[in-house]
Amino acid sequence: MRIFKTILAFCALFVLFSLLNNSQGSIPPLGKFLNPFVGFWINGEALDHIDEVLDVKGLKEEVKVIWDERQVPHIFAENTYDVYFAQGFLTARHRLWQMEFQTHVAAGRVSELIGSKAIEFDKTQRRRGLLLGAEKALQKISEDSETQLILQAYANGVNTWIDMLTPVMLPLEYKLLNYEPETWSTLKTALLLKFMAWDLTGRNSEMDMNIIRSALGEDFVNQYYPDDTPRTDPIVPVAKPWHFDALVPELNPAAFEPQFVKDLRNAEPDRDNGSNNWAISGKKTASGFPILANDPHLGLKLPSIWYEIQLHTPDMNVYGVSLPGAPAVIIGFNENIAWGLTNAGSDVMDWFEIEFKDDSYSEYLYMDEWIDAELRVEEIRVLGGEVVLDTFAITRFGPLVYFGEHNLENDHPVGLAMRWSAHDPSNEMKAIRGMNLASDLESFFSALDQFDAPGQNFAVAARDGDIGIRHNGKYPLRGSNQGKFVRAGRDTTGEWREWIPRDQLPVISNPWRGFVSSANQNPVGKKYPYYMGWEYEDYERGSRINDRLKMMENIGFQEMQDLHMDNFNKGAQYILPFIIEQLEPASLTRDEIEILHDLEQWDYVSDPDERAAWVYKQWWLHLEQAIWNDELTLFGEVRELPTRSVTAELLLRKPNLIYYDDINTPETEDRKTIITSAFQQTVSDLTQGLGPYGDAWELGRARGTDINHLLKVKGLGRTGLLTGGGVGMVNATKKTHGPSWRMIVELGDSLKAKGIYPGGQSGNPGSVYYDNAVDDWVAGNYYKIYFLSTPVVQKDTNHLLTSLRNYQ
Amino acid sequence: MISILITLVLVFILQFLFYSWWWIILVPLVLGFLEKDSLAKAAGGCGLGIFLLWFGMSLYHWLSGGEIIVTRVAEVMGGGSGFTLALVTGVIGFLVAAIAGFSGFSLRKVLIKEYQIS
Repeated sequence: MRIFKTILAFCALFVLFSLLNNSQGSIPPLGKFLNPFVGFWINGEALDHIDEVLDVKGLKEEVKVIWDERQVPHIFAENTYDVYFAQGFLTARHRLWQMEFQTHVAAGRVSELIGSKAIEFDKTQRRRGLLLGAEKALQKISEDSETQLILQAYANGVNTWIDMLTPVMLPLEYKLLNYEPETWSTLKTALLLKFMAWDLTGRNSEMDMNIIRSALGEDFVNQYYPDDTPRTDPIVPVAKPWHFDALVPELNPAAFEPQFVKDLRNAEPDRDNGSNNWAISGKKTASGFPILANDPHLGLKLPSIWYEIQLHTPDMNVYGVSLPGAPAVIIGFNENIAWGLTNAGSDVMDWFEIEFKDDSYSEYLYMDEWIDAELRVEEIRVLGGEVVLDTFAITRFGPLVYFGEHNLENDHPVGLAMRWSAHDPSNEMKAIRGMNLASDLESFFSALDQFDAPGQNFAVAARDGDIGIRHNGKYPLRGSNQGKFVRAGRDTTGEWREWIPRDQLPVISNPWRGFVSSANQNPVGKKYPYYMGWEYEDYERGSRINDRLKMMENIGFQEMQDLHMDNFNKGAQYILPFIIEQLEPASLTRDEIEILHDLEQWDYVSDPDERAAWVYKQWWLHLEQAIWNDELTLFGEVRELPTRSVTAELLLRKPNLIYYDDINTPETEDRKTIITSAFQQTVSDLTQGLGPYGDAWELGRARGTDINHLLKVKGLGRTGLLTGGGVGMVNATKKTHGPSWRMIVELGDSLKAKGIYPGGQSGNPGSVYYDNAVDDWVAGNYYKIYFLSTPVVQKDTNHLLTSLRNYQ
Repeated sequence: MISILITLVLVFILQFLFYSWWWIILVPLVLGFLEKDSLAKAAGGCGLGIFLLWFGMSLYHWLSGGEIIVTRVAEVMGGGSGFTLALVTGVIGFLVAAIAGFSGFSLRKVLIKEYQIS
């Protein structure tokens, strides 16, 4: 009996040990996690402590770091190696888990962390070839000793921090998911940059365009998906003449009907990844010095996508935001220039349908011959020990991302290969280093020659008074509409062979109007000789910025802040009065009339407490769906709808468009009917979702903004933020997306700068500095930026100094 | 009382030397084995010792700069306050240590008895 009891006790102990020592589904290993000596309890504010002296192995000389009150490190090093080493070391101190997790996502290694549910994601991610692109980038980087040194110094700094970490100090997420950091490498940095390139250029509608053309005809596509978005005020004013002999693409590929039908959009980045930037000449500013402003719009996450930093060496002094995982400053300023980025939106990704000989995918048809594909075997390790092998083919048109269907005529397997400029060898790090060191417009633009992907609009203001903007990137020479549809990857037509020369890219410096700006709109007017793509942002945001800037004089910081936070909905101003006029009042209920009254009174400003802003937004969505969803539901999916501005123009100018009629009902709907029913449907849906018309309908409450943790773990994000703005507004804040960094810089004898991003410097959810800026970001406040010239703690500040001492 | 104190102090010291959480199994197992007479001292003493240690240390971290992390983790784990979370931590520690203490005590009884027979 006693033996039995003892065995039972040991069994119970063993079971308890196993349960508490290992993760159970999404529950962390509670023994480790709850242990108050090692577990999550340690990840509090104690980790925010700043040491006066830290012995750091691997530095060449002593590095001094001033920490300001927001824990922005201002790094003062004596040489290039040390400054990037310290950047890697200190970024890892704050953001190690995020850095590593993002590269796991980029490399398709999420299954290692969360198990088999991520296998399909990992497969697709690997087939997209981010790793392929990163490996080629490293090869290219190896040709340039300075860039290689920078990347290696950064990696060494990160690894020194990892070596100093004890299990107690591991970031919370490692404890939650029960794993440990691995060695950082230059490849991880390259992967991170490719991941950003993917986020900014990975979206296009080629498959949808083929499907729509096939179902509704070429005219439909040409009319409703035009290359020029209506009413656009391009980045480079249309009047600018182009004085160069343009290259002419050799072949204009013939139309092609793909066999492979796949909805690509679900797997693609957010269509509203965009941004605003502008540079203003001293002629229009109060101080007489140029001003640069930028707010890149990205998915809002915690830890934040950006890490603020100053890097100082005897030959460089630069401040701005960096990407945790990559050295240098991506958006920022030095004593002489300030620069900001917006997404270019020009097409750098084409899809090609490839026909294979058999299911081994080892040979594909090209120029009437079967040629060998490169087969790459990917080993996906899954949490728990399983290893999944995935073979994918690489063709001359890029990696085969989607496959599994067959040509209906000859039963050959077919698939979609992705040709993407970020797969080609390039060294963006060299360009970024050049940008950080640039002293004027010329040297800045010259550095951009190395920056291939992602395509970006770089706005620059220089201390000498120059301003300019360049629509930069490596863009293939295309025939008209080439890249709008999926092409046949079986001959030279549609293949990328030449590039638009850098000196012929859209660019403008010191225009007469005294400012340059961009908001992801079409970069040029019709005079520009090259076709670069068609999926640019609608006119509203860019046009509003230009309207405001044209009117402004004596510009200072407050005007720039107000413009960043501008919630004016130009699209609503254009179309709302018309659709209100079209309503049939006789058919409206008393509640609907009350709501209509508020819409009529609305000044088109989408502030957080504005009900009409949310009603209008929903009404518009219902209206778009009422017009298009019946025709554009093809192969079981609603395909890409025409842009807002195309639909608005049609509503205004075409009283009898056949698409107003819902083909799924016996009645014939017309413009008035659908506008009225869309309004009634909106009121009904909102009442159902939010209750009777009241405070819950305010934009900030009904939509607001959620900044979720990267793992989407409830409790680690900041949700329910009362924000205004939205799509088509300068303040492009949405539910989970928006201005990820707001920066304003005034150059001159004494440089002044302000900035804010919705998060904080620390990646530790237990830190004060994890989300300390969120409320100020919501309110439209900015922080003073300290651009220091010496590593001395200034009077009247509570800054701290750390010496990173070289320790052998 | 002494067994509570010995458990608490021993694990406290060992935790600072080595990071493993399972000291709360190993120490009670050994102490339970060394306890000759009282099951209550073996299981209860060890359990209470670890409860006090884990609950106390959790409270300490919570109240000394841990408010943010504790509030967040409490939400991750489905709600509750920092105090509840510290209590849960203590109770889990108690359970594990008490069973370990009991196992050690039982093992001794089995082994000693068999030794006497032979």
